[in-house]
Amino acid sequence: MFNRNLPVGTRDEFGAVAQAKEKITGQIQTYFRRRGFQKLTTPLLEYKAVFSSMEQQTYQPYQLLDEHGETLVLRPDLTLPVARVMSTTGIKTPVKWYYSGEVFRVKKRLSGSYNQQTQAGIEIIGYRSLKAEWECLTAAIELCQQLAVSDLHVELGHARFVKAVLQALPLNTLQQATLQQALFSKNLSEYQAVIAPLVADPFYPFLQIWPWLFGDFAKVLDQLKLLPEVPELQSIFQELSATKAFLKQQFPQRTIELDLSIESPQDYYTGMIFHGYSDSTAEFLFSGGRYDQLLSSFQNTLQPAVGLAFEVDQLAQYTATTTTTPTTLIYFDTASWGVAQQVLQQTPNSSLCLAATKREAEQIARRTNSKLIDVTEVQP
Amino acid sequence: MSTLKIALTKGRTEKQVLPLLEASGIDCSAIRNKQRRLIFNDLPDYHFILAKGPDVLTYLNRGTMDIGIVGSDILAEQHNEQYEMLDLQTGKCHFVLASTPDFDPHQVKRKIIATKYPSITQRYFRSIGEDVEIIKIEGSVELAPLVGLADAIVDIVETGTTLRENNLQIFATLQSVSTRLVVNRLSLKQHQSAIQQLITNLQQAIKTEV
Repeated sequence: MFNRNLPVGTRDEFGAVAQAKEKITGQIQTYFRRRGFQKLTTPLLEYKAVFSSMEQQTYQPYQLLDEHGETLVLRPDLTLPVARVMSTTGIKTPVKWYYSGEVFRVKKRLSGSYNQQTQAGIEIIGYRSLKAEWECLTAAIELCQQLAVSDLHVELGHARFVKAVLQALPLNTLQQATLQQALFSKNLSEYQAVIAPLVADPFYPFLQIWPWLFGDFAKVLDQLKLLPEVPELQSIFQELSATKAFLKQQFPQRTIELDLSIESPQDYYTGMIFHGYSDSTAEFLFSGGRYDQLLSSFQNTLQPAVGLAFEVDQLAQYTATTTTTPTTLIYFDTASWGVAQQVLQQTPNSSLCLAATKREAEQIARRTNSKLIDVTEVQP
Repeated sequence: MSTLKIALTKGRTEKQVLPLLEASGIDCSAIRNKQRRLIFNDLPDYHFILAKGPDVLTYLNRGTMDIGIVGSDILAEQHNEQYEMLDLQTGKCHFVLASTPDFDPHQVKRKIIATKYPSITQRYFRSIGEDVEIIKIEGSVELAPLVGLADAIVDIVETGTTLRENNLQIFATLQSVSTRLVVNRLSLKQHQSAIQQLITNLQQAIKTEV
């Protein structure tokens, strides 16, 4: 019945699209190999428990049972498997990994979304210094340059900012949670209602603009003047400002933005967060950040870690070119095999035509709209 | 200024929202005289499409539209991933549990509930600790208890006239519904100032209206 159908949320990729993705993944991997990163490959199948720190609602996995009835999933994320490897193999830190592969997240049926995505990224484990974030950002920006993303916006954020401000407010835990929920979902109607009782509070002018606290770095920093002093925030601002200064010096052309109203991509983030997007794509091109507590769910020792992942499908869509260059077919016979090989190497976008006769080769060339070179007449 | 692409739920929502959009300084004459057009690209700052409510979210989630204007009934039923930024305070109505007068909500049985909104129905009954059998109905839900398909219905009520005319009465009032402005997460970053301006104008228009 279903022997000719694809399951919902999946797709075949061939020709230009498949090659674009392969090329991008290759470029990313080569880049990280040259920077001295080591490859780490983890399996597609993992125990479901490996991903227990992810929010199930947003990342619904494909599930199946192994022969003992344990729940397995097709991995919905590539960072948690790295944490699992680190906590079980005794690998000495610091270490820098690069990886690429497929992640699976079941999305809404028949909505035009795909459940299989290709990611390529890195994990830097064992470095506490800001230099680790800077290496990630440098790599992200240089790779986007290599991939000709001309309108890249780099956005910084911090996982601890929202929590620190909430705790400084005269609110109980429940009220803090309600305010955080309204802020993260940018539900302005609800947000206004929640902050209304704080109208006389010194934080109120800041609270009024908080949901809009994103965009141009300098502008956002300027708006922070409205925020009363919170000692906990000083180190966060120092990290962000130092990073901004570093990026401005290294990449003066890049637009650097700041978002201090956004939710962390995952609960396990503890420090700086970064995203990249362009004016035209509907998703982030890359995301990353620091998660120093990530390994604590697997073992007792805390290991500082910073990671970055590229959404290869989004990059492929961005860089996709619709122009298909015509191919050249090379017709040869047994005697001219050597010549055919030489011509193949010298002619871009060419391929050996394996037809038995010249006539058949001509038919194929007409059918596939290709140019035909006959090397049987060429003297070796 | 960049062009904002807005998906507007056609029909009643469209009629109720147009005055608000106009009060916010958007020329909606093309939509008012639309005839059979569904797509409006005449204005430099705002492009509109007209679509059914659930489809507004599909367009929005795929990033083909920046903004959606849609009822909160659909947002609650569809599990919305985007920013639900503003309550436009129009299209106000609420969900009710309704049935024929002889319906006993406390009867000991697994009730059969007919509805267009299975998620909302399930959430409601779960919240009161009950499990029910849900039958999905696409329209004229009032029929179901009258012909004996279901014990009761969960549906949206604005004035209650339809219920009364069909001799149905309300047994419980569930969540309220109104029209919302929903923004694609990345569009908000890509068109920050334009969207902020639109929202400020709309907030002003809502205040004057109320």
